[in-house]
Amino acid sequence: MAIQSLSQDQAPTAQSPATPAATRRRPGALARAVDTTLGRGLIQILAVAVFFASWEIAVDAGWLTEFLVGAPSGIWRVFVKSVLDGSLVHDTWLTVVEAILGFVIGTVLGSAAGLGLWYSVLVARIVEPFIVAINSVPKIALAPIVILWFGTGFISKVALAVSLTALVALIAAYQAARDADPDLQALLASMGASKNRIFRSVIVPSTLPAIIGMFRINIGFALVGAVVGEFISSQAGLGHLIYNASSLYDLNAVWVGLFVLMFVGFLLYHVIDFAERRILPWRQVDTAGSVQV
Amino acid sequence: MDALANGRDVQLALRGIRKAFPSRGGAVPVLDGLNFDIYERDFVSIIGPSGCGKTTVFNVIAGLLEPDEGTMRFRGEIVPGLSGRVGYMMQKDLLFPWRTVLQNVMLGLEMKGVDARAATETARDYLARFGLSGFENAYPKTLSGGMRQRAALIRTLIMDPDILLLDEPFSALDYQTRLYLEAVLLDAVETFHKTVVLVTHDIDEAVALSKRVVVLGNRPARVKAVHDIALNDRSPIGARSDPRFSEYFNTLCGELDIQTRARAA
Repeated sequence: MAIQSLSQDQAPTAQSPATPAATRRRPGALARAVDTTLGRGLIQILAVAVFFASWEIAVDAGWLTEFLVGAPSGIWRVFVKSVLDGSLVHDTWLTVVEAILGFVIGTVLGSAAGLGLWYSVLVARIVEPFIVAINSVPKIALAPIVILWFGTGFISKVALAVSLTALVALIAAYQAARDADPDLQALLASMGASKNRIFRSVIVPSTLPAIIGMFRINIGFALVGAVVGEFISSQAGLGHLIYNASSLYDLNAVWVGLFVLMFVGFLLYHVIDFAERRILPWRQVDTAGSVQV
Repeated sequence: MDALANGRDVQLALRGIRKAFPSRGGAVPVLDGLNFDIYERDFVSIIGPSGCGKTTVFNVIAGLLEPDEGTMRFRGEIVPGLSGRVGYMMQKDLLFPWRTVLQNVMLGLEMKGVDARAATETARDYLARFGLSGFENAYPKTLSGGMRQRAALIRTLIMDPDILLLDEPFSALDYQTRLYLEAVLLDAVETFHKTVVLVTHDIDEAVALSKRVVVLGNRPARVKAVHDIALNDRSPIGARSDPRFSEYFNTLCGELDIQTRARAA
């Protein structure tokens, strides 16, 4: 219970232990009252409402041109219309399926390869520079080739998402496997465990946190792959919607696509969050006692 | 005690063990022809100056490192290492954070392919015996350092290993917890008739716990001396209060060339 907090707004000299009571900062009564799920939610909703209201007002007052930035009322009209005619649901569904398929295939292949490299230090060392080299290419630059190889349909979007996610997964899994505690491995070896057994009992569980952490990054990359694939050539999908609308200067429709994408990404992120809590219960314990700074 | 008095049967014999590690300037010799015996139900401490290769000896015995030269005989039979026959315990508790205490304790039984139900049963018995019942489903993260090390000790004992290999198991603990766990260890060793090889830098611990102390010289290590420790009371506190304790302590300090001016003879 010494000095509990040193917040950034205090000068470094303020940490002098001579006056702990003065430097100790507790959240005020207002902060404590608001800091509940409901309180935070209300503030967040309020912030969104203020943002859209000021946008609408700015367009109405003529400070912003609807032609160039769109307007919340127009976005809403486009949204309702495209939900009613079914096109938005179809576009969203298509993009989500492309992204999820790409995510799953890329992540599974990449993680498996990365973990597999643990088996042979020699192979890992030989392959490492190639992985680094391939990874240093902005993978979006592969998009034209992917379209050439896999056509302009559904498969090419999935393939693009795979190409974006697989290497990220590989590197994350390989690094995590390499960092797995050698003492835990030695312990199992001393118990007479085989290499496969050590892989299953130490390498896989100890890399899981890093692999699941990588899921968060990869779900975003998979969406990028799907949307960019649709930009290049497509008949449907959110990327198609955005690209088409922007070439027609239909900014409201562009925003509908963007907001739906944002929502989809947000949702998928939380699905992974949920999965993480189920898969890694041992990481959830004991955060309540940590000191608030 | 009687097993000690008549015919000390050699359980593990190390002969001419050499080990060098490759490095930039060529191979660095670490073990230079190590010879010593470990008897049945022995309690041997290996001490030596820091960096002399104590842990390398330990890893060779455990079968984690192959010696470049030399042989190991286990009850007369030449063996490459004692992998699967030793219980291994280190300064770090090495509990698997993703396993509960019960699952951690069962680890060795699992590796041996013991049926899960039987393993759970045995693990519960051991936890109860060592005062950890009620913590079966806790994750290691939630336990104190002493409790974690106790769980690690149970995990080592439950496999019923021929030899317990302990590499500074208590050196990260506070003194009280350490004395307590030393007592738990001695008691367990008596009850289960185990042989213990303790690697430590702590002369105090070596004298208090061991029947014999093997002193290694500077790197590349050879056996410099082997001392028999004959204290009447082998409880952690009793041993430390024995009048001969400080005698042994000083002798060993002298062997290690520790300059304390205490022994200016």
